[in-house]
Amino acid sequence: MARRYDDRARFLTVYIKEAHPLDEWQMTSNEKENVCYRQPRTLTERVAIANDFVRRFHYDVPLAVDAMENPANALYAGWPERFYIVDPAGVIVYKGKTGPFGYHPEEVETWLEAHPPTAAALAR
Amino acid sequence: MVRRVLLVAGALLLAGAAYVVFSMGPRNILGMIRYDQRQEGRLKVGDIAPDVELVSLDGVRRVRLRDFVGGRPLVLVFGSYT
Repeated sequence: MARRYDDRARFLTVYIKEAHPLDEWQMTSNEKENVCYRQPRTLTERVAIANDFVRRFHYDVPLAVDAMENPANALYAGWPERFYIVDPAGVIVYKGKTGPFGYHPEEVETWLEAHPPTAAALAR
Repeated sequence: MVRRVLLVAGALLLAGAAYVVFSMGPRNILGMIRYDQRQEGRLKVGDIAPDVELVSLDGVRRVRLRDFVGGRPLVLVFGSYT
């Protein structure tokens, strides 16, 4: 999606605390995929897992990591996964539901399709 | 008659619960009960997106969410590897 809509939007992945770490709510599906990490205790551990993710999936969307006090997650209630769209003025114009059941990339795409960029935005 | 209906309804409920446990796995259900942290949160459409400091992938450099705002809409994707 980030590649497809690169001309219409910016993308930022906010890497938050683990949803299904070994020492909490481990999922069988993660074991099958060899995604087995404990919940990080330090920022270094969290950043290392984020880097593993980026490497494994060649993830080229800009990504930044939430601090260990989880300030971004506390503000945005992003756990385990969630989309927002913020307009150029900084106003939230779309708030998705939490994943997995409420996580719908197609809703983001629909919003982006319905809001093509202005000439001024493209010129920036 | 009422008793029979109740028995059938109870059996259906038990069967449904057994299906959920079987399909999700008991461990996943226990994990969900104990560790599910899904929240709706206070932010809503129309609010100003609050700024927050984040850490870049090098683990050192700090970036701010607001630095990504402007020009085009910003799609925020919250998530983790697991």
